[in-house]
Amino acid sequence: MIGSIISSGIISPAWDNLFAVILGIGFGFALESSGFSSSRKIIGTFFGYDFVVVKVFFTAAIFASIGLLYFSYLGLVDFSTLYIQPTFLASAIVGGIIMGVGFAMGGFCPGTSLCAAAVGRIDGLVFFGGMFIGVFMFSEAFPLFENMFYSGSQGAKMISTVLGISPEMFTFLLVLAAVGMFMGASWLEKKVKKVNY
Amino acid sequence: MERKYTILAILLIVLALGLVILPRTNEQKETNPKVLLSAIAEKSRYLTVDQVTHRIIENDPTLLLIDLRTADQYKTFALPGSLNITTDSLLSQANLELFSQPGKDKVLYANADLTSEKAWLLCTRFSLNRIYIMKGGMNEWYNTIVKEKSVTGTPSSADLDLLSFRKAARQFFIGSGETVNASVNPTINEKIQVIRKEPKAASGGGC
Amino acid sequence: MKKIKFDGSFYLNPYLGGVILGTVLLLSFYISGRGLGASGAVKSTVAATVNIIAPEHVAKSAYLSQFAGGDHQPMNNWLIFEVLGVLAGAFLSGIIFNRLKLKVEHSPKITSRRRLIFALLGGLIFGFGSQLARGCTSGAALSGMAVLSFGGYITMIAIFGTAFVAAWIFRKNWI
Repeated sequence: MIGSIISSGIISPAWDNLFAVILGIGFGFALESSGFSSSRKIIGTFFGYDFVVVKVFFTAAIFASIGLLYFSYLGLVDFSTLYIQPTFLASAIVGGIIMGVGFAMGGFCPGTSLCAAAVGRIDGLVFFGGMFIGVFMFSEAFPLFENMFYSGSQGAKMISTVLGISPEMFTFLLVLAAVGMFMGASWLEKKVKKVNY
Repeated sequence: MERKYTILAILLIVLALGLVILPRTNEQKETNPKVLLSAIAEKSRYLTVDQVTHRIIENDPTLLLIDLRTADQYKTFALPGSLNITTDSLLSQANLELFSQPGKDKVLYANADLTSEKAWLLCTRFSLNRIYIMKGGMNEWYNTIVKEKSVTGTPSSADLDLLSFRKAARQFFIGSGETVNASVNPTINEKIQVIRKEPKAASGGGC
Repeated sequence: MKKIKFDGSFYLNPYLGGVILGTVLLLSFYISGRGLGASGAVKSTVAATVNIIAPEHVAKSAYLSQFAGGDHQPMNNWLIFEVLGVLAGAFLSGIIFNRLKLKVEHSPKITSRRRLIFALLGGLIFGFGSQLARGCTSGAALSGMAVLSFGGYITMIAIFGTAFVAAWIFRKNWI
């Protein structure tokens, strides 16, 4: 079973979309049950009263990283067949900054706004609707950003390569950092003034 | 911090530590022996000298001839358009990339079959595909195309076609003279551009 | 499991939620070779919609023409199906944990109208940024981090770093 199951042809690609739905269900369920349908809960990270975003996000990323690396070690997955987000330095940074502003204003990100909309939160729905306008505006303004969009291309680079260490070592250090963050988050949550939401 | 979280955190750290400590296994992908066996039994991995000659004359762009003999032998005479890769340099990184070239049939030949079989086996073990052997090697080619190899018994029309083809090929390679002129210079300097396959994921992606 | 009850609502222990999410993410890579995402579905929908309304515009648009028009099928896209699943999964969770409620969630210090305006603007800005960065927190940041992508980490740091500052600027809306 080398490579992802679909790309190595064990299951025909026609099933890919079905799996997309199933995985989406898991995604939505995990997010909503952790509380990501509440914008005030999400924004709690930035004010110190609820670090659920940090805990869920980093736990998920670490778990998946460790899982993938073990899978790769056991020969279950060929890392080179996985989609690695390509690095376009300028647009990644500027886009991230813009998204950060949108995040702080709206209190959602696309995935969580969907969850919120699904349980009846109108603000989630409005946020998601706003995204359509934003995407359209981007497509109109594209010529202005075209240069930045394509600049700084470094291909599908891994952060461990940039830091000059092995992916496993990076994940290990990340785990140490994350555990530290979780400890700090729990400590902070107790100190900060309680907010009812 | 609660006790159970401490335990979970330690578990996580140990798991990650395991990743770092575990020994690096050999990363080479080797073909499964069963797959190798069935590939050996495949008759289609052989190309006759006639087939190869045909493609040389036609200037088939998908043909990539690999001459496995020594450099001296290659210089003396080699099939036009062939590249010289000696068996000891077969596994170099650059040559392996050459062999992974998409869109080309890599045809191996040496003087007889023994060397080409060995090389073919090596390549196939590395999961390289579209590797073929020109059956009989240079000797067969010489006997068939250059020297007239007569057909035993009464030649059928297919045999006659083959004979006239070989005659034409002979003229193509050597000229209309009867003398075997070994000065058919192979284009040694043909540098094949190795199209490095980008590490593009097999699946799509992006948000 | 630690229970956090505020509006009477039961939320999963965040670490458990993280493990579940991480498992889904892992399976996503294992099965389909790609991570999760969300903003890509918005992009596909916009491209498809504009293509239906004004195909010539799509052809002229340097950005949209990459996704729609011609023989592109923007809606037959892994992400679109995944997003449908997200809606279903979140709805399911809402039912199970009794959180289905039509409301505008906002801080008691502001009106719901103000909240909705900011939600709209926030979504707009976020949508814009997500196209520039080729992903959002799920696609670029989360999935990117899972495969240790440099671009993914950069985007994640940019989003969260900026959000810390911006949230403080907009704090009146939240606390």
